[in-house]
Amino acid sequence: MTRAAPQLFALIAALAALTLAAIAFGASFMPLDRVVAALVGQGSRTDGIIIWNLRFPRVLLAILAGIALGVAGTLLQKATRNPLAAPSVLGIVDGAALGVLLFLLLFSNEANALTVSVYWQPVAAVIGALVFAGAVAALWWREIQSPMRLILYGVALAALANALVVLLIIAGPVFRASQALIWLAGSVHTAEWLDVGVLAACLGALLVPILLMARPLDQMRLDDESARATGLAVNPTRGAALLLSVLLTAAAVSLVGGIGFVGLIAPHLSRLLFGSRIGPQMLGAALIGPLMILGADLLARLAFQPLEVPAGALTALIGAPYFLFIMFRQGQAHA
Amino acid sequence: MHRLTVALTLVSLALAFASLHLGIRFTPTAEVLAALSGEGDDAAAIIVRSLRVPRAILALVIGASLGLAGLLMQIVLRNPIAEPGLLGVNAGAAFAVVLLLTSVPGAGIAAIMGAAGLGAALAVAGVMGLALSTATGLSPAFLLLAGVTIAALLNAGLQVLIILDEAVMEELLFWLAGAFVDRPLTGLWIALPIMAVALIAVVRFRAALDVLGTDDATAATLGVDVFATRLGFLAAVAALAGAAVALAGPVAFVGLVAPHLARLSGAQGTGALLPLTLLWGAILAQTADILARFVLYPSEAPVSAVMAIVGVPLLIVLLRRRRIAMA
Repeated sequence: MTRAAPQLFALIAALAALTLAAIAFGASFMPLDRVVAALVGQGSRTDGIIIWNLRFPRVLLAILAGIALGVAGTLLQKATRNPLAAPSVLGIVDGAALGVLLFLLLFSNEANALTVSVYWQPVAAVIGALVFAGAVAALWWREIQSPMRLILYGVALAALANALVVLLIIAGPVFRASQALIWLAGSVHTAEWLDVGVLAACLGALLVPILLMARPLDQMRLDDESARATGLAVNPTRGAALLLSVLLTAAAVSLVGGIGFVGLIAPHLSRLLFGSRIGPQMLGAALIGPLMILGADLLARLAFQPLEVPAGALTALIGAPYFLFIMFRQGQAHA
Repeated sequence: MHRLTVALTLVSLALAFASLHLGIRFTPTAEVLAALSGEGDDAAAIIVRSLRVPRAILALVIGASLGLAGLLMQIVLRNPIAEPGLLGVNAGAAFAVVLLLTSVPGAGIAAIMGAAGLGAALAVAGVMGLALSTATGLSPAFLLLAGVTIAALLNAGLQVLIILDEAVMEELLFWLAGAFVDRPLTGLWIALPIMAVALIAVVRFRAALDVLGTDDATAATLGVDVFATRLGFLAAVAALAGAAVALAGPVAFVGLVAPHLARLSGAQGTGALLPLTLLWGAILAQTADILARFVLYPSEAPVSAVMAIVGVPLLIVLLRRRRIAMA
């Protein structure tokens, strides 16, 4: 751990710098002294409104979503011992998206206003994600020794969820379709304090179970047999880790949409920096995840001003090539 | 075997005939026949002649060519779950369509179809090229993941383009929903020759394809130019898939399922599988097209979504069989 201290410090410093930058940049640039003044409540009224009502929630939501996805990805990769396992590959993201779309469709009235509180949206996402992740896990359970089967089932069910999403989008009115497509792309631009609160509450509630998982998951590092020899109930542990991962992913997706590849790449980069012990790796992923989303969101705001690209598009543009690279290296290693 | 071919032919023709009756409004057989013989100029006859007949023909042709593309892919890549729809064709086509619409506003349907076909062919070619360039590239999981990732990449690019030019959204949705409706039949003049060439090549080189299904070393020993054969037929797959997407919009799972349905009847070898695959492909596409009229009645559902909803359970059943070896 002490060996990793410089990396840890660098990540935290980068996150702090990026956070300040994400607050300072936007439709209008705000110099750092005004940012600080507004944050401590001394700046002008407009600055205060921009910072507290617009940029700060957005930044916080990006950070929280990054933590959730980074941790979810680490749990998933540890529990399946598969470096390619990720929320977006296993149908969890598509399942959550389907849940949210169904929710929007079922509980909208004629004027397209929601008839129930938007608080329920994460619940819909969790249900959708649980159904699809549960189906993938159930199919894979009997062939648990084959990590690749997990991926295949995940891709198949993700395709199914995706087809249903397309059906729902086409069935609805066009403006709702474009709304849905933008949400699916993943973005934090509509962030409000309410969203931040909901996601923070979800993360807080899951914090203790996640910490409790660390030890058992570390015992599972080698293979199922040696894990059993240490007295671990392997499959319950695996199931619990999968469940936690699904809950984290669903909570994040329901609020920021389908921001892809963060859950895949954050754990991977973290392993390069901190090694594969679960504590340091998860901590690293919980720092790299926010860095990715915050960075993507900042870039998304600045690259095409005055337009904003969804942050999820940028994480995919960067993440997909990296994923291909990982696959290729794996392919070479097996040859 | 012969009897099965005849039966499948009859089924596909019967489905095509049934599809002439079905739609938002049911048209009785007498009126359909009258419309087909050129009589009657009431609304029903016009609908049958100008909408439903082209649609039925397209579904038959596209289904058959998707089945053929899937069969070739499965043989040449030695991969039982290879199929164009899983390998990024749709994302490639959608990206190309949006790129065209943003750079040339108001492009006509012919240009859109051309862009879709080109994008689809390039995406498939890219994924297959990626897969073949690594040692484990032929493993089913690798190919699938490469396809999914390339699709994610193209989708991200598409989202950026859409944000930059929001007007494109509606045209894209129209294209996504398109299916076999409102596509000019003139596109068949491109699709049919591609298919004819591919068919001739398959019949001519069916022995080589059979050998290629075993392993590269055996095939080379038996005098097959492995590299050239593989490359040639993968090019054919890209062309077939491109033409299909250009004509029908997004497609899925027909290429995967049709060859497996053909194998279910015990047929072995490329020569025996070929006619059965073509027929099953036509039947699947025709069925999906008919179902698509009723899933979201009275609106049309996208055929690709219907295909996926039928195809995914089948893929899972196939995966559950031990016969499919995984890396």
